[in-house]
Amino acid sequence: MKNSQLTSIADSWFETKGWKPFPFQKKTWNAFLDGKNGLLNAPTGSGKTYALWTPIVLQYIKDNPDYKTKHTKGIKAIWITPLRALSVEIKQAAQRFADDLETGMTVGIRTGDTSQSERAKQKKNMPDLLITTPESLMLLLASKGYDKIFKTLTAVVVDEWHELLGSKRGVQMELALSRLKTVSPQMRIWGISATIGNLEQAQDVLLGASNDNSLSAVKDNEIKDFEGSANSILIKANLKKKIVVKSIIPKKMETFPWRGHLGLHLLDQIIPILNKSKTTIIFTNTRSQCEIWFQKILEKYPEFAGEIAMHHGSINKETRLWVEQAIRNESLKAVVATSSLDLGVDFAPVETIIQIGGPKGIAKFLQRAGRSNHRPGEPSVIHFLPTHAMELIEASALKKAVKGEVMEDRIPYLLSFDVLIQYLVTLAVSDGFFPKKIFPEIKATFCFQGITEEQWQWCLNFITLGSQSLQAYDEYKRVLVDDDGRFYVDSRQTAMMHRLSIGTIVSDAMVQVKYVSGGFIGTIEEFFIGKMKPGDTFVFAGRTLELVRLRNMAAQVRRSSKKTRNIVSFMGGRMALSSQMSEILRNELQSEADHKRNTPELKALSDIFDRQELESIVPGNNEFLIETFKTREGYHNVFYPFEGRFVHMAMGGLLAYRISLLSPITFSLAYNDYGFELLSDQPLDIQNVIDNNLFSTEYLFDDLQKSLNSTELARRKFRDIAVISGMVFTGYPSKQIKTKHLQSNSQLLFDVFRDYEPDNLLYQQAFRETFEHEMEEGRLQLALERIAKQTIVWKQCEDATPFSFPIITDRLREKLSSEKLKDRIKRMTLKLMK
Amino acid sequence: MVVKIHNNTFDLHKSGAIFWQEQSMLLIADVHLGKVAHFRKHGAAIPAHVAHENLERLTNTVDEFRPKNICFLGDLFHSKLNTEWEDFASWTQYTNAQIILVNGNHDVIPKYLFKDLGVQIEDELIIDSFLLTHHPTKRDAFFNFCGHIHPGVRMQGLGRQTMKFACFFKTKNQLIFPAFGNFTGKYILEPTKDDEIFVLVDGEVVSVS
Repeated sequence: MKNSQLTSIADSWFETKGWKPFPFQKKTWNAFLDGKNGLLNAPTGSGKTYALWTPIVLQYIKDNPDYKTKHTKGIKAIWITPLRALSVEIKQAAQRFADDLETGMTVGIRTGDTSQSERAKQKKNMPDLLITTPESLMLLLASKGYDKIFKTLTAVVVDEWHELLGSKRGVQMELALSRLKTVSPQMRIWGISATIGNLEQAQDVLLGASNDNSLSAVKDNEIKDFEGSANSILIKANLKKKIVVKSIIPKKMETFPWRGHLGLHLLDQIIPILNKSKTTIIFTNTRSQCEIWFQKILEKYPEFAGEIAMHHGSINKETRLWVEQAIRNESLKAVVATSSLDLGVDFAPVETIIQIGGPKGIAKFLQRAGRSNHRPGEPSVIHFLPTHAMELIEASALKKAVKGEVMEDRIPYLLSFDVLIQYLVTLAVSDGFFPKKIFPEIKATFCFQGITEEQWQWCLNFITLGSQSLQAYDEYKRVLVDDDGRFYVDSRQTAMMHRLSIGTIVSDAMVQVKYVSGGFIGTIEEFFIGKMKPGDTFVFAGRTLELVRLRNMAAQVRRSSKKTRNIVSFMGGRMALSSQMSEILRNELQSEADHKRNTPELKALSDIFDRQELESIVPGNNEFLIETFKTREGYHNVFYPFEGRFVHMAMGGLLAYRISLLSPITFSLAYNDYGFELLSDQPLDIQNVIDNNLFSTEYLFDDLQKSLNSTELARRKFRDIAVISGMVFTGYPSKQIKTKHLQSNSQLLFDVFRDYEPDNLLYQQAFRETFEHEMEEGRLQLALERIAKQTIVWKQCEDATPFSFPIITDRLREKLSSEKLKDRIKRMTLKLMK
Repeated sequence: MVVKIHNNTFDLHKSGAIFWQEQSMLLIADVHLGKVAHFRKHGAAIPAHVAHENLERLTNTVDEFRPKNICFLGDLFHSKLNTEWEDFASWTQYTNAQIILVNGNHDVIPKYLFKDLGVQIEDELIIDSFLLTHHPTKRDAFFNFCGHIHPGVRMQGLGRQTMKFACFFKTKNQLIFPAFGNFTGKYILEPTKDDEIFVLVDGEVVSVS
């Protein structure tokens, strides 16, 4: 059958539904049927499922002309989704199309929630379309005979690729695809992505690096010739949607706080918005903030009981599914949510979105705005609720950004050895692997295009010897090598522990919260529960709970009637202003420095700007502001580059390090999106900093690396790395295994590597990742170059200024010191029991 | 750092051990030998020489005091038998002191293996008015030496400075040892103003209370 005949089958199906295929859908069908790989750039709710599922079915029809009477077994396509919650919706849509065309094709879901028996059934007899997550796909690669299962694949579709791209799950995906390219010769790879700044790069990462390096490595090996990027296409849906941004401006500016991240002061002002619209999603930036808002709305407006709900990643699945269903059938007035509701699922009844606190990125803000009002032609409305005064500037900037359609990049990971090690053990657990055959596949991925022979050998040694040389009497045991040179895992325990750990790439050190009487409530981070003693109470998932005992990574709790202010908090989720947002923000400030005050937000801020200008200034584009003052905490030195949190983190560390070379000194560092603080117990001569040219870009890389060694940033990155590479066993939320004598924490490991094996690739990776993903070294360079052209304005103030206030009150801090511990301890006191 | 308790003299050592002068006894808690090998056996690639360093420090500390007796206050071995046992066995032959092990919760290695090496095993040890145990234990009229907790304290200073240190944690009738082993964590305690705290810092023992 010709392609045009095939697509006309789909056309007529669309017609029976009273729809007309979008041009981008038809374009995708044809490209797919021509055997192309590609990336489809289309927003949620635009019909992207039918853009790619349709040609998969058509291809099946083409390959099996008597498809109506005889069903050919074997899996045809895998649909990857980053969130389990999305799979049901995709299944329904896909199944409907397959059934209406009488193909007899089946659609199945396989995620962490799929039952054992269902999984076993699937393995024996795969559905035609399997909807799954990156982790579950990895688990399939960890089972024997996976090559036979996947032989018949015609397509892998990676949905919401932009979400996976900037994460290690994206690397997992790259590696899985590198294997499937060999075992599934018919396979095409397609990604679906929302609009981001680096769409072309997103396409390259998905399809693999097709540069000369990888080709030369491939040459003398038997790897299948996969054309990758060469035979690929980028299709843009180009569906524009109007978005209206409204700021919630405090009625009384005098009482609006200078700092804070909760925004509860404006709670009353959202009530009319909730009442006016059918269903509202209230987006918060962190899970703790989500918990608190839910709690407070109910406290102040008990009439909403039963009409509002909460949705975040740590709440158990049943509750989340219930909430999603309730949104669909319009039985909820409002849902307080985190990014767990950012993606996918179409919620037609949602009319209004409220964003609490700065969204930090334009892409994220637009995505959230797009969650509302799926009726074509009508604009999406998003209300922005600032949590402190300075965020009103952000609101003003956001409006400009939305108009200008500025988009950020998602930065892909490079050389993630932790994920590679996990992957190699995965292959060893299933059918075993020959390094000669796998290396070219890995080298052809985007992530590992730069891997050297030495680094590859290091990884092989790591999984077989647990070190880089054979040690006497060593009992290290993970991966073995047989006489033919095949790498395999022989111990059942190693295999089981590995399978359990595959899912931990997204959640490390999580503790389950359960009732003593049974019943799972959700998961929270170990660091929070670790601080509590039995009998302590806390609020989680909207309930007050008392900790009874902590056992085997599970916190057993009971309901409590005690009042407590101890609301669950989570470490993750602090985001930083993107460089695009930062630039727009600086322009807003310039207009403020000129006293234009030409937007409602800036007008509202008049009092605060006046106050700022009492002792200091509102810096314009050509000024770099430094404020110093003394409080009872010590000597504050606050710098304002307005470059976003991550750049400030790097610049703060760099500057502190360079100052500490001049004389022994100890700093505590804090930063937000506007600036950073170096707090010390001794005064700092800013003139000295200026005279010594400490903002220089000379030796930048070197100094930055050294400053990183003296702070704790890399230590935090190491947590993930230790878990993913299998050095820390956390078990898995739903299955606890006995690892009592194997419990250690990544902190301890970090120290051990620092002291005994600093050249360990995984240890070094922690620093590299901090560089590439946290600090955005490139941005730092640009920022310093900009500062070099600015006039430095040093203001010695009597007291904290409005700009400095949110920074100096931040409790999440780094430290850097060039003093001897013994000298420091003399000026310190013991923390005593209260 | 020397401390007097019940008219006896105790040397608090930078390694986390204590030398009891009157008894010529070296007291050491929570060495956790074999922990590194145990992790490696289960596929976690902790650098193997971390284990060697542990035994090396033990040897150096013993050489410094040349005690007649060495008493381990529990958790000498982290888990089941592994290759680090061999190293320990040859170490016991090298040292001249009488070795006593007060059992801890991690000590699961069969007692006869210790006895074959001439190591004396006890559930607790009473010497004069001193009670030596692994778990902190209160008993009237006795001063208790114990381990198990791996104590640490938090220090704070101006400019929002805080730091954590391993320490000897002494209350009126008890002294909890820091963990001797190098691959062990610490548990942060909050002392009251009556407690005496000696932290391990830069290779020294410093009194901070």
